[in-house]
Amino acid sequence: MTQPSVTGNVTCLGCGCACDDIEVVVASERIVDARNACQLGRQWFGDGQVPSIIRVDGADVGLEQAVGSAATRLCEAARPLVYLAPGLSCEAQREAVAVADLLRARLDSITSATALIGILAGQEHGSASATLGELRNRADVLLFWGVDLEARYPRFASRYAPGPPGMFTPEGRRSRTVIAVDIERATATVDSDVRVAIEAADELAMLTALEACVRSPDASNNLTSLAERSRNTARELATALLAARYTALVYDAEPDDRSVRTSARFEALTSLGQALNDRTRCAALALRAGGNRSGADSVLVAQTGYPCAIDFARGFPRYVPHDGTVLDILRDRDVDAALVVGDPMGISSDLAHSLSNVRSVVIGPHASDAAWGARGVIIDTGIDGIHVSGTALRTDDVPLPLRATLSAPRSTAETIRAVASNVRRTLLNAHDIESKALGS
Amino acid sequence: MNQLRIADGSVYDPANAVDGDARDICIEDGRIVASLPDSAPRLDARGMVVMPGGVDMHCHVASSSVNVARRLLPEEHSRHPATAPLLDSATEAPRSGADGTVPTTFTTGYRYAGLGYTTVFDAAVAPIMARSAHSQLDDTPIVDGGFFALLGNDEYLLRLVDSGDRERAREYAAWVLASVGAYAIKIVNPAGVELWKRGTKERTDLDTALGSSRVTPRAILETLVDAVNTLQLPHAAHIHCNNLGLPGNSATTLATMAALDGRRAHFTHLQFHSYGTTPEGRWRSAAREIMDYVNTHQHVSGDVGQVMFGPATTITADAPVEYLLYKSSGRKWANVDIELETGCGVVPHEYRDSNAVAALQWAIGLELFLLSSDPWRLVLSTDHPNGGSFKSYPELIRLLMDRTYRDEQIARVGKKLLAGSALTDGLGREYSLSEIAIITRAGPARMLGLRDKGHLGVGADADVTIYMPDDNRATMFSTPRYVVKGGVLTVEEGHLRRAPTGHRLYVRPSYDQSVTHDIERYFDQYGTVRFANYPVAGLRGSPLPVGAR
Repeated sequence: MTQPSVTGNVTCLGCGCACDDIEVVVASERIVDARNACQLGRQWFGDGQVPSIIRVDGADVGLEQAVGSAATRLCEAARPLVYLAPGLSCEAQREAVAVADLLRARLDSITSATALIGILAGQEHGSASATLGELRNRADVLLFWGVDLEARYPRFASRYAPGPPGMFTPEGRRSRTVIAVDIERATATVDSDVRVAIEAADELAMLTALEACVRSPDASNNLTSLAERSRNTARELATALLAARYTALVYDAEPDDRSVRTSARFEALTSLGQALNDRTRCAALALRAGGNRSGADSVLVAQTGYPCAIDFARGFPRYVPHDGTVLDILRDRDVDAALVVGDPMGISSDLAHSLSNVRSVVIGPHASDAAWGARGVIIDTGIDGIHVSGTALRTDDVPLPLRATLSAPRSTAETIRAVASNVRRTLLNAHDIESKALGS
Repeated sequence: MNQLRIADGSVYDPANAVDGDARDICIEDGRIVASLPDSAPRLDARGMVVMPGGVDMHCHVASSSVNVARRLLPEEHSRHPATAPLLDSATEAPRSGADGTVPTTFTTGYRYAGLGYTTVFDAAVAPIMARSAHSQLDDTPIVDGGFFALLGNDEYLLRLVDSGDRERAREYAAWVLASVGAYAIKIVNPAGVELWKRGTKERTDLDTALGSSRVTPRAILETLVDAVNTLQLPHAAHIHCNNLGLPGNSATTLATMAALDGRRAHFTHLQFHSYGTTPEGRWRSAAREIMDYVNTHQHVSGDVGQVMFGPATTITADAPVEYLLYKSSGRKWANVDIELETGCGVVPHEYRDSNAVAALQWAIGLELFLLSSDPWRLVLSTDHPNGGSFKSYPELIRLLMDRTYRDEQIARVGKKLLAGSALTDGLGREYSLSEIAIITRAGPARMLGLRDKGHLGVGADADVTIYMPDDNRATMFSTPRYVVKGGVLTVEEGHLRRAPTGHRLYVRPSYDQSVTHDIERYFDQYGTVRFANYPVAGLRGSPLPVGAR
């Protein structure tokens, strides 16, 4: 066994916190430790071993042939789809959007099945937010709204807030009031000063009541939609929030429990965050899970104007969040070939099931492990952030470098770029033939 | 194409005192050369107007904040889809996108080049977000681009201002620029953004104390302006004054100029800072007072930040202004407090010619242009997309060049709304083509210290725009016949044909390495990003020289 080497300041994509203080220990081309990482982080780093299989229809082939087959199949399709699974650097995401644009394909990402409803609320009304360092340095009152920090964002509390001391919160946890709101089984797993439990059915009424109390102190006498006890709770919470210099309202952008992902809920949270700014300062933060999901949104917005659920069929991006998400179009069987990039293990089982009916090209780490892709083109790549350097965005859109600590046979970004140039060549040739035919 | 002779055009190259003379412009390997063999490819420009490529020194096109705006505006993008241009080149895949007031990255590059602009600077990037600005610039084709780093509300800098350690502040500023690949230092509402983050919503005057009485807008401005000038950065400190958009703010603007008297400084989007009040407390134009100062002080430069009627999107690090706009307009509002550095606010907006404030803003911008005695020191901008889109520059040029047209527009808006504006007193000036060449290319290039841009002398970058003259100057300037970028013919016969990758424009000033120990300690104490992960590595090209002005 060779002497272990340690690389510091490595960014973890285990969740949206994107902790960038991980020390990765490598020995004999394996990750043997990821110091500072939480359980999600350790799981994400793993031992750094990835398969390196390239197959077309089950047969092992060379990279060039696989890239060529991928391009041909995508160009032959009438309604191709490009899907961004989690686990891509921003560089790889940019390449994937380029392919979708060239192919006039549908383009979607994990976002449409997770955070889209909250994003739509933000697009309707805006939002008052901050980067995580502002929470660390300023937030003296933190309201955790049904967010399971311990399971889903394990180092949030110790890295951002309420744990660490900040410029205007010199005593760290002791400088802050922490309010945890549990919405039935959705427990806000954080060390709190105040804990409030509400029924899921009352959540919206409670948020509305809170906003009413924040907007006008007189409103608190008039909250008829709530029971007496809940009214008192709303009043007390509003008083605590308004006592803050700087309030943070932290919730999950993609809670596991899909029943709570309603637009009314996200609109109420967004609106409460904005309203608090009339009386004090407030930042609302909707936390995203791992694999550079915020990066995908940001790249898609920069290049197309929309964060997900896009259709290029008319030669320009159209936003189809209500009926054109990947699940919608697969259900309608309106896809005849799919390019799936990123980690296929990050794909939900219902999506994986739908994809098994479509000719697919899978490019990403562990592509060969995706049983639904076995009949198509499969190209295993390294993991961005473990084998490949690049950029990723934290849940608050702060960009961070990804550092490679192991070598890999190939990167996802480069492989997608190779497919793109094949696609472009194929399309140009087709165009030439068409022009000649028309000319003769 | 390595060589090109642009033959017999009427050349407007004010930096080299060429004013419409028929000349050949010779291009070889991306630069202007003195001569070419007769066999070199020729582009016949007889009867056409030849200018250096346009230089936009102040716009918002590539930053995390611009992306906040893009995300906020799906309905606008839906109304303005952008198909991919039909490029000739097999090497660059043409890209589609969305247009509107905040176009997507590729579309932004195509549209700028389509207007004959070849260099653009994003005027407001939070250093911690620099990677996103670079990646958006990477996706903005054709134009050379860079950005200015926001420092006027940076907590570490404020501490140095508090301690009076101006030398260390200078070294810190140099470290930030070098670390994130920025081109210049931007100061936005100094102290005011931090006050907003601390919960204050009042006006900020030059001596408003931020915590300590030693930390004031005045002290921040003096510290950073002196830092820029001592470092001999190519561009002056780029200043967005306190109290943007508020009636009576011309007093703040003039006080700021006076506080920095004798120092090189650039005052941006002056239109938004030139509002007086009448004795009855109503808005009035203070353009004349502002221009009296600018015209008589050689160290001062500015850009106008013209308001154009129509839709706009306000995007600024001056987050408290956006809060006020949100409350007064009822439009949607996005705010992002950016840790330890700055703020960000976005509100969509519409400037209506029937609205008294918008009409006055429009008039004040024009007054600034028309009262300016030195086009080299007051240049064109709309603070895109704040005052209007960059795509409205041709219309603005028409307003400046064509008095008859301008008078028609003034009459349409109505004298009632323009009461007190010098425009109605018969400001009859018309800009010449040479002056337009100054305020859209030669002037901004000189202000930015870009020695190879904004002119067509030997050794300059071969960025050239060729227009077909038209009495309607908006038509002329909106559809250049040819645009050459770095020697590559990008627009031919009015159509975009090639979209080469632009260069990154940034500086890497040297600094005293010993300052980094304390910065690293500060990162550990208050940051959420590791010190080692803050600098941006692997930038395209090499930095521009510092100090050799």
